[in-house]
Order: sequence, then structure tokens, then C-alpha cells
Amino acid sequence: MQPMKPEQKRSVLENSPQAQPSDLEEYERLLSLRFTEDPDQPPAASPEEQSEADVQLKREDRIKQLYRKLFSSVAAPAQQSRR
Amino acid sequence: MAVVSKIMRAGAAKPNPLTICIVANPVIEAPWNAGTVAKDPLIGQLAAFQAAATYIDSALFGLLPGQQENLLADPALMPFIRVVSLYDDAVPITLQNALVAQDGGSNILVARRTAFSPFLAQYAINADVAYAVSASVTHTRASAWFTTDDDTQGGVPFTLDGNQFFHRFYNTIPGTVAIHVTANSLTALHEFGHAISSYSNGKILDLYVDSPAALNNNVGRPIPASFCSYQGTVFSTDPVRNGLGYPGSWLSYHCELIDPACPAVMDNYWLCGKGPVACLHDAVTKAFIRDRVVAKINRP
Repeated sequence: MQPMKPEQKRSVLENSPQAQPSDLEEYERLLSLRFTEDPDQPPAASPEEQSEADVQLKREDRIKQLYRKLFSSVAAPAQQSRR
Repeated sequence: MAVVSKIMRAGAAKPNPLTICIVANPVIEAPWNAGTVAKDPLIGQLAAFQAAATYIDSALFGLLPGQQENLLADPALMPFIRVVSLYDDAVPITLQNALVAQDGGSNILVARRTAFSPFLAQYAINADVAYAVSASVTHTRASAWFTTDDDTQGGVPFTLDGNQFFHRFYNTIPGTVAIHVTANSLTALHEFGHAISSYSNGKILDLYVDSPAALNNNVGRPIPASFCSYQGTVFSTDPVRNGLGYPGSWLSYHCELIDPACPAVMDNYWLCGKGPVACLHDAVTKAFIRDRVVAKINRP
């Protein structure tokens, strides 16, 4: 995932006073984490795999929450984005 | 005009050379996983696509002005890598032809990775890594998925911290990149680092966030002196992350840098004091990519 430039990070935080640098750090971490897991694994067959799928769904929900917090001044709320 | 396909680099004279494909994204899904599609704004802009393809090729082979990372320019590698570009302005606007989606929770372009092989097969292209170039008007940030290796076929074995893995010859899903037509600097090279890596045989992760353990990232505190043992060679840790420092909340730590004056290519290259094009891969990432590329070049 393409990294953000320092000026882009500053702009996000300046335009979203309700957001903290830790929000942006968490948002970036979760977005990057998304791509570290094969999205085309077979459907969950075991409780452990189902648990992993649940974690992924919660992560996508958290990404949307943070997106709204960080970018509410420039973007509409996120729509469907989970696989 | 319909199809404009260009062989940018012929690669090895064999039926299955290591192949990198750069394709003009014909159809875009927005938002991701919604199933709603439209023609990508890139279609109709052949010159812009060709400029983007030239940029991607340049970044891959160390040809950007001032670029220091030139791993693939090695005479033992470059002549054997095939690079093809593909532009087709007559592709039906259907979901199966959408190679890129717009993320609903960011401005990230997401590769629709399972669509690539069936799409490219129509043009007799079998890619190891594929870039889809988009001219989305709202989403400009590149991303990549790692390769899904074909672990039922052969490969070159290697050891990482005492465990055996393989640089696999073939994939079931190629490494895929979604990239904007305006991308520049090391972005295409950074995404290649992800895409050439493997979900089952070594992941190359972003180093600018606190990432899980992988080929190029370890986790724990205190930070040890040794990073890993790859193919019997012990690599040291970068204790200071090029001077950017590891934030106090992180558990990640990275491999030694080849040039300690610059962040690694997989880190935030925009932060390099000498300019992003001065960045090099860290030591183990460079060794891994080189070995993986050699394995694919020499596959049966």
C-alpha cells in the first residue's frame, strides 16, 4: 500500500480536528493489515477460521469508523467495502 | 482502435518467461464489492496509459532519474524478464472485466485479484505480477495483493530461521497491483515488493506501520541484534529504523539497511532526506526478491 506523504498526514489532521494522530496511525495499520491476509481462502471450515473471518469483518468496520472520523470533512460515509 | 498490446521487454526466449503485465483497467467497481461498475476514465487516454506503463517499467528496472534501487536491472535478471502492456478500449462493461475497485473506506485502489488471470488469458498473457492502471477521479492510492503460489508445483527450496519454504515457479493467483495513472517515484517499485511476495512462502509487508511478523518484519521487544537467518546467512537488525525511529507503541522491527542513510523501499520512502528515489530495499528483502525472481526465470 502506497505510503502517505507527511504533508498528506498533516492535512488530514488539520482538516479533522476531532481526529488524533493515533487515529490515523491505527487507520493506516488496519488498512495495511488488510492486504497481508489472502482474501480468497476457502470459506471458514473450522471455528478457528470462522474466528479469523470475524476479526476481518470487525477490522473493516473499524476502518470505516476511522475513515468517517478522519475524512468526514471531505468525504461521505464509507459504503460497502468488505469481501 | 481496439487492442494495443506492446512488448516492452521480450524476456527469455522460452514458453513461460517471468512476465510482468501492465494493463489499462477497462472497468472499475465502485465501491469495492458492491457489484456496480463503470468504464474506467483511463479508457480513451491511450497516451496517458502508455506514459504510466513507461513509468512503471522505469521504476522496476531502476531507470528513474536518480533512482538507486536497481535490483532488476542486474544483467543476470533484466534480459530474462518479459514486460507487456495491454490497452483495450472495447471491453464490455461487466463486473468480470473490472480489475480495479474503489475502496469504500479510503482513497485506495484495490486490485480485484481473481479477475486478472481470466481477463489476461483472453490476450494469451500469463502474468506473474500484473499492474492495472486506473484514472479514477476520486481514488489515487496504490495497493497490492501478494501472489498466491501454486504449492502443488515445484520451486526452489529455501530456509528462513530453520524452516523450509519454496520460491515457487507458478501461481494460482498472480501478484496484483492497482495503481493510479498519476503514480510516481518509487510507488510502482514498492508495490512490486508486495506483489512478488507470497502468502505461503514469504510476505513482504509495509514497514511504515506496526506490522505482523513476516519476511521483512519481526515483532518483539527488546529489539535483538539479529533479524533472521535466510539461506544460512544471518541478517542483522536495523536498531534505529534509519533514524526515523520505532514509535514507542510499536512492536515491529526491521532488517539491516543496505544504505542506512535512507529508509527501506518498503518503508515510507517519502521521508528519505535524499529524496525517495535514493531508497534501497533492506538486506533480506533484496536477497529474497532476487532469489524468487531467479527461481521464476529458471523454472522448467
